[in-house]
Amino acid sequence: MMREQLLAEAFVELADTLVDDFDVIDFLHQVATRCAEVLDVAAVGILLVDQRGALQVAAASSEQSRLLELLQVQTNQGPCPESFQAAKPIAVPDLNQVTERWPRFSTQALSVGFSAAHAIPMRLRLTVIGALNLFMEQSGTLPTDTLRVAQALADVATIGLLQARTIRHHETLAEQLQTALNSRVIIEQAKGVLSERHGFGMDQAFARLRSNARNRNIRLSDLARDVVEGTERF
Amino acid sequence: MVAVDHSDRGAWIWTRIGLESRGAPFAVKHVCAAAVAEADVDGAAVTLMASASVWQTLYATDAVAERLGEWQLDFGEGPTIDAFKEGGPVLVPDMDSLDALTRWPVFVTEASMGGVKAVFALPLQVGAIRLGVFNLYRGVSGPMDARQVADALAFADAACTLLLSDAEGTRTAADITWHRDDRSAHQIQVHQATGMVLVQLGVNAETALARLRAYAYAHNRPLSEVAIDVVERRLRFDPEVRQEGEEVG
Repeated sequence: MMREQLLAEAFVELADTLVDDFDVIDFLHQVATRCAEVLDVAAVGILLVDQRGALQVAAASSEQSRLLELLQVQTNQGPCPESFQAAKPIAVPDLNQVTERWPRFSTQALSVGFSAAHAIPMRLRLTVIGALNLFMEQSGTLPTDTLRVAQALADVATIGLLQARTIRHHETLAEQLQTALNSRVIIEQAKGVLSERHGFGMDQAFARLRSNARNRNIRLSDLARDVVEGTERF
Repeated sequence: MVAVDHSDRGAWIWTRIGLESRGAPFAVKHVCAAAVAEADVDGAAVTLMASASVWQTLYATDAVAERLGEWQLDFGEGPTIDAFKEGGPVLVPDMDSLDALTRWPVFVTEASMGGVKAVFALPLQVGAIRLGVFNLYRGVSGPMDARQVADALAFADAACTLLLSDAEGTRTAADITWHRDDRSAHQIQVHQATGMVLVQLGVNAETALARLRAYAYAHNRPLSEVAIDVVERRLRFDPEVRQEGEEVG
């Protein structure tokens, strides 16, 4: 059951993030998290296309390794690449029914405990730049108004991602996507550093990184870079 | 132009570089030559950078490409510097545009007079590991189309692989072939393992990644598998202990 009362709050919060020291990965993380809460689904992931044409993980509602791995499988198999290619939503009401179509994806999704999934394209005019991925514990299709809101949130993610510069040219889009994906790599490296240093799991490492960045009002990706480069120790 | 299938761009890129190297060990100059041909630009240069102001041109295809670095170092501004600092490509299809002139007034003036009408700066990086920038230029303004951008990025990846192999200290043809055929090198766990190993060994990220790659090669296992072992704490890199098959120091 979609939680409409959270929807207005989510939009206000996301609009608040469109500021000067905007951090793309942090923003997409918030979109994914709010999406899961508002739509009342088990997990949400955001994949972006790199300029080599492959979908890469940009953010997720949870930094649990198993969820990230499930998203990572969709670089070349699953509802997200299909949604991306077709520029249309793809519904997977029962993951047990797609074991032949997407063997690795379905096995992994089922093992994590999901029963259904949905992929929604992130579109900028005629270009598809990625996909929003929903996972549900119950099988079945999502109601139409839930899907409409999901599309709206996917559009918010697209607009936010590209708001840092006016998108007139193909070049700016390519630059933004590549930079966002490289920021994601830095964050993964930083998670490794914190995990090893403190004995955290990777999701706890991300949470620690994020809360530190927010408390100090610095960009998540800048802090992550400092952690990896060793100029920042916490 | 030969019709090629770019759908397996990763494999095709190395084949294309091989056409330039003609059996010699792959070098950055072969990557530059292939990129110039495929992206339809007039020249390329690979700049190695320790920071936005400390760098050297490792290789340039021609004198103009060589000067791309000088112009930017002299005035401390330019697309190469921005690409390095921002961690993403900086694509300038028209140096005479208001946008370019506003962003780098001195560089644009000098470089445009020097014959550069378009510049494409692609960082050579793996997350926080920043090796430098791969620079392409045109003597006539015009954007790269999507396919050329994708190819240019793939050539930048290849240059990165070569530079990382250099960091490992060995660069035989077999070593490069092995690494380039490992498609798992970009997986999340590899980046996480890089962070873990840099703490374990007390080294920088570039060295940590080099050690992971060397271990994977020595044990003939995909990099991502080794990385998963590290992340799941079945494998540690200890500075006191020499890993089987791993070079010390």
